[in-house]
Amino acid sequence: MFSKIAINNVKRSFRDYSIYFLTLTLAVCIFYSFNSIDSQNALLEIDTNPIYMSTLSNLIAGTSVFVSFVLGGLILYANHFLIKKRKKELGIYMTLGMSKGSISKILIFEALIIGLFSLIVGIILGIIMSQGISVLAANILEVDLDRYRFIISTNAIIKSCVYFGIIYLLVMMFNQFTISKHRLIDMLNADKKNEELKLKNSFVSVLIFIVSITLIVVAYFRVLKTGLDAENEALIATIVMGTIGTLLFFFSLSSIVIHIVQTSKSIYLKDINIFVLRQISNKINTNFLSMTLICLMLFLTISMIFAAFDIKGMNDRNASANSAFDATAFLIADSKSADPNENDIEFYLNKINFKFEAYEKHTFYNEYKLNFTIADLLAKYLTEQESVTLQENYMDDSVTAIKISDYNSIMELTGQEGMLLQEHEILVVSNYGQFITALPEFMKHEKKIMIENEEYAIKNELPIEANIKITGGNKFFYLIIPDNFNGYLRLESSNFNVIYDDDFVKQSEEKFSHLFNLLDDNTYRDISPAFVLGKTMKQLKDRENVGAAMFVFLGLFLGLIFIISSSAIMALQQLSDASDSLNRYKTLRKIGVSEQLINKAILRQCLVYFLLPLSLAVCHSLVGLKAVSYMFSFHYSSVIVSSLLLVIIYTGYFYATYAGIKQIVKNQ
Amino acid sequence: MQNILSVEKIEKYYGNKDSITKAIDNISFKVDKGEFLGIMGPSGSGKSTLLNCISTIDKVTTGKIIINNKDITALKSKALEKFRCDELGFIFQDFNLLDTLTAYENIALALTIQKRSIKQIDSLINIVAQKLGISEVLNKYPFQLSGGQKQRVASARAIVTEPSLILADEPTGALDSKSSRMLLDSFEKLNKEYQSTIIMVTHDSFTASYAHRILFIKDGRIFNELVRGNDTRKEFFNKIIEVVTLLGGDVSNVL
Repeated sequence: MFSKIAINNVKRSFRDYSIYFLTLTLAVCIFYSFNSIDSQNALLEIDTNPIYMSTLSNLIAGTSVFVSFVLGGLILYANHFLIKKRKKELGIYMTLGMSKGSISKILIFEALIIGLFSLIVGIILGIIMSQGISVLAANILEVDLDRYRFIISTNAIIKSCVYFGIIYLLVMMFNQFTISKHRLIDMLNADKKNEELKLKNSFVSVLIFIVSITLIVVAYFRVLKTGLDAENEALIATIVMGTIGTLLFFFSLSSIVIHIVQTSKSIYLKDINIFVLRQISNKINTNFLSMTLICLMLFLTISMIFAAFDIKGMNDRNASANSAFDATAFLIADSKSADPNENDIEFYLNKINFKFEAYEKHTFYNEYKLNFTIADLLAKYLTEQESVTLQENYMDDSVTAIKISDYNSIMELTGQEGMLLQEHEILVVSNYGQFITALPEFMKHEKKIMIENEEYAIKNELPIEANIKITGGNKFFYLIIPDNFNGYLRLESSNFNVIYDDDFVKQSEEKFSHLFNLLDDNTYRDISPAFVLGKTMKQLKDRENVGAAMFVFLGLFLGLIFIISSSAIMALQQLSDASDSLNRYKTLRKIGVSEQLINKAILRQCLVYFLLPLSLAVCHSLVGLKAVSYMFSFHYSSVIVSSLLLVIIYTGYFYATYAGIKQIVKNQ
Repeated sequence: MQNILSVEKIEKYYGNKDSITKAIDNISFKVDKGEFLGIMGPSGSGKSTLLNCISTIDKVTTGKIIINNKDITALKSKALEKFRCDELGFIFQDFNLLDTLTAYENIALALTIQKRSIKQIDSLINIVAQKLGISEVLNKYPFQLSGGQKQRVASARAIVTEPSLILADEPTGALDSKSSRMLLDSFEKLNKEYQSTIIMVTHDSFTASYAHRILFIKDGRIFNELVRGNDTRKEFFNKIIEVVTLLGGDVSNVL
């Protein structure tokens, strides 16, 4: 009998339930999709480094706990609205003599029906969506899709059921609490209660508004000045300032806006602007806390999704720029060693009995240190930002040099022309010219370098873009010196580069990655004490790809959860507010306001309500991303893709809300 | 005297072929400019339906309603909205003030939807507020006002646009007797001094005694008509009571 009432209730109030249901379903869908990542076969193919895989899985597991809290809060919030709307109905059940226990049963049945239904639909949608994620993953990890197959992750299904089961249980408990707490008369009159208006002193609100703007601006300046490199405490202070500023902004906004608009009579007294203005200010006034939360969530979403897409984009660019060789290894020279052979990688390879095949084109070369640092050379030309970034990593390093004969043999390996270098001439080679402007600036202004009182002319006008080794090991820049350079030189490392033959890629890759793994495990320390490291291009790429995948997935995951949560909260608030305002619309209609004007009023309210937190969030994000822009190089494609994703979800919710409110207002 | 409203043989049916309810069954009457007409009748007599039809909120099944020489039964919905906004003023039992707006803004809304100029709006509101004695409370919100003040604000909203016809549906229904008297006094003043035409639906005899003429409706038909003429209000009130008794209204309708 109770289950029958419950089923009928759900059917009857389908419209009320639809947003709640939509939110639940989407939450389950996303939760499933991201938890099924580790069973995606695209990822399983990187069997070369299982450690990264387990890191990724752990990260996702950890994040999903955090996310389940966010989703749990959201579902409770949505449920709260639903109950609020139905208080009168529940009150009527009570007047008919139904006990609170029986009403609880009805509510539990309803929650079960909706919960079960949304769980099933959500998981089905999730399974479909995770196939899309498979393709995305394969794309990021550059795995071909030949071995793609349809995958259903039992693990993720069980996890979704357990997590959401707990959330639903909490919702039911919350409902019990609501029922037992309220008095019958309040429930019957729930829909008659007017929202109390918070009247505020206009002077105080102006003051608060000014304080909020000041806080936000100061936070902006602080973050722009130091980026994320600031001391921890300073950074936290900035974040707190920004958060409080945002909170106060929404707290004081409505009275400020009313004061401003009231001074412009031509706007204030046009159509039903008075009504729209009061409605909006009323909403902001009562919901300033959730507006702040939504604004901050949107800010995080925008930043994360931009960053996620950009890291992926940047890795792609780096990889293509640095894939000149298939493998690189180096022996770090020990200056105390007596035997020069000890510091020669060729000798070392012979000693451990490693032979190059005839088809494995390779070259040996040495890197030297000069007796002056990068700071000595470039200090004058560094921008403030660059000196902060470079200080820790590079500045006190000595400048690295390579002899022209070694340089030419490296160039020859990649099939490029060598260079001729006269006595007292040098070259500058760097791949970072476009990222760090100090080097080209330096070369523009200085045509000569003094080394130990001898003058060397810089032969090139811009840094030569060439790879000395593969990704990771490249220095900021190299000086190429003549072979007969007679100043101070200290051997830093002895290196080799390899390029595989197209016909034997597989064999060579196996051979070199095996060698490098053995080196990592210190297998040959008994034979020779020298410290040797190497990486193949594929090893590097895999590492970067998994790193990129982690960022992209987590960024997407959290971003999607956040944007769905915030849009859902806004939609729910708007819809519940619309049904609270039904009488107002009825009155408007009675005093002769046209349907067209009413629709316009609804549209304006929705627009302002959705755009307000978004615009402040965009403002925050622009500053935030600007502050960390040295970490990223923004490209239009990533900006467009991520904006599009956000815009589609946000607009979808906006339109659903607008249509929903119109429907509610029209149907009365 | 100029004719403002003429209702010609209107009927309003509810229901389907099998069971027809005639809410209004062939009613005709005329209202002149400057008249104060009361409509009385027991619950379910059709008086609210009649008012809804005149106020264009509802449509008649047959017959014509002509207001200011315009047949409103032939108007399209767009034209109806404009008509309602320009020619009619409403006063409701439960005030229907917008709780989010101040009294001033509530009155202003009626003018802004007519696209009046800004200067006009301000002066019109001040004038009407003076007429109804609400100048002091213009900047307050409805929840800060007493019931009587609320109804006077609602009345101000109804008359500020200078409509041809003011329609009041149980205006004293939610007021205590003192507030009722004050409101009805202001109605009388509006009618006498500013020649406003008022149609008021009520089932309270005391309220009705303020009108010049009363139509009694029962089961969708005009049952009786009383004209005050030169009677005092007390005499008119006694006549009304007689008719109400005849109508078969119960005791609660009498007092």
